Amino acid sequence: MNVTFPPLIALLLFPGGLFLLASGLVFEYVDRKFIARYQNRIGPRWFQPLADLVKLLAKEEVIPAGTIKGLFIALPIAALAAALTAGLNVPLFGFRPVFSYPGDLIGTLYLLSLMTLCIGLAGANTENRFSIVGATRALTQLFSYEAPFLLALLGPAIALGTWNIGEINQAAGMNLWFILSQPIGFLAALIGLMGKLELPPFDAPEAETEIVAGALTEYSGRGFALFRIGRDVELVIGLTLIASFYLGGFSSPLDFLWKTAVLLLITAALQSLFARLRIDQTVGLWWRVGAILLLVQMLVIIVGSSLAPFVSRLFGG
Amino acid sequence: MNNPIQNVMEKIKTWARTNSPWAIHFNSGSCNGCDIEILATLTPRYDVERFGIKLQGSPRHADVLICTGPVTLQARDRLVRIYEQMPEPKFVVAVGSCSISGGVFDGCYNVVGDISEVIPVNVYVPGCPPRPEAIIYGIEQLLKTLQP
Repeated sequence: MNVTFPPLIALLLFPGGLFLLASGLVFEYVDRKFIARYQNRIGPRWFQPLADLVKLLAKEEVIPAGTIKGLFIALPIAALAAALTAGLNVPLFGFRPVFSYPGDLIGTLYLLSLMTLCIGLAGANTENRFSIVGATRALTQLFSYEAPFLLALLGPAIALGTWNIGEINQAAGMNLWFILSQPIGFLAALIGLMGKLELPPFDAPEAETEIVAGALTEYSGRGFALFRIGRDVELVIGLTLIASFYLGGFSSPLDFLWKTAVLLLITAALQSLFARLRIDQTVGLWWRVGAILLLVQMLVIIVGSSLAPFVSRLFGG
Repeated sequence: MNNPIQNVMEKIKTWARTNSPWAIHFNSGSCNGCDIEILATLTPRYDVERFGIKLQGSPRHADVLICTGPVTLQARDRLVRIYEQMPEPKFVVAVGSCSISGGVFDGCYNVVGDISEVIPVNVYVPGCPPRPEAIIYGIEQLLKTLQP
């Protein structure tokens, strides 16, 4: 849908800002509900994420001794701000991206990984041994999934010859869906998103049974609430990116809803099916399997797209 | 407190608190019977996520401290420390006979006594061990006391 919004409304209300936060809460609810249904439970009530958020915001924020106070307060804000900024570059709810420039795919991915960097810094900032172990694991995981995730999203971009998210979204609907022509890329992108959000089975950085709550162990109240809502926003943006790249893009809000719901159903199934991987297994999975398969696929795409003109000339195109 | 905006804010806070009690579980010298019942409470069969109850790893994220067992000399400092690490507002639920009175461990050379001798307790859940339904009922009673 080619509707443009006035800049201030787009920034604060719709589709960025407030509406993005609200949809983050809705997506978290749907994710938790799906997992609950997969585990044969009833699951949370519809306002559960909102109640969690308000409760955390109303709680006392303990700033532990031995931390750099300014950094402790600023990191959650930076993480949420980066996630919200990334929301301006993607076709949320099927509308045209609010803000776009050539090559904004790379900028958006950078903004999305700023969240993990902030979590890593937040963990390393405190003196707590559990948060330091969690921060190390979060950053290790960042280095393992980031390159395959980027390669997975670059597949459609190279095949279409543009690195602009809005243009890819439009062009993806006209071609054969990329989930069919690049299935490896689709899987890698989806699993990469799960690694980015530290969802099970990639939740080694916040493994409750080993290291309390990982990098965010010392965060309480406001800071923890901001990190949580930032992660929800990132879930929305990540699903938007994958659905617009691999599921034929969206042209209307309805398209957006059912495509992201299908993706959520798949991620929830993966979350409830698999047990947690050790951090070395996560790294091994990405670099030994994911990256190599993706590089092969990338080679095929580049060779294929450079041979395409010759082939079509050969067959009298 | 008579300011209408503050009243509404208080109502929203109370609503959020009563709908999202995150728990942390601490065993200060119990025989493990109550702990197994608490774990049973968290299984899909009882599905406490319906009420918004979630088990958290870190005391910094939790609202409700679920204690089991009498307090031993060794565990006393740790219990107080965990309690002090929790951010306000915080509540304590004592589960099982031993946490109410010391139970069969009362008077042992290595036992300080019940939980309320060390930290303030909001709700007691009796039983040896109490059934999961009783634990859920106890937390519901705690949430009722929060409402004005």
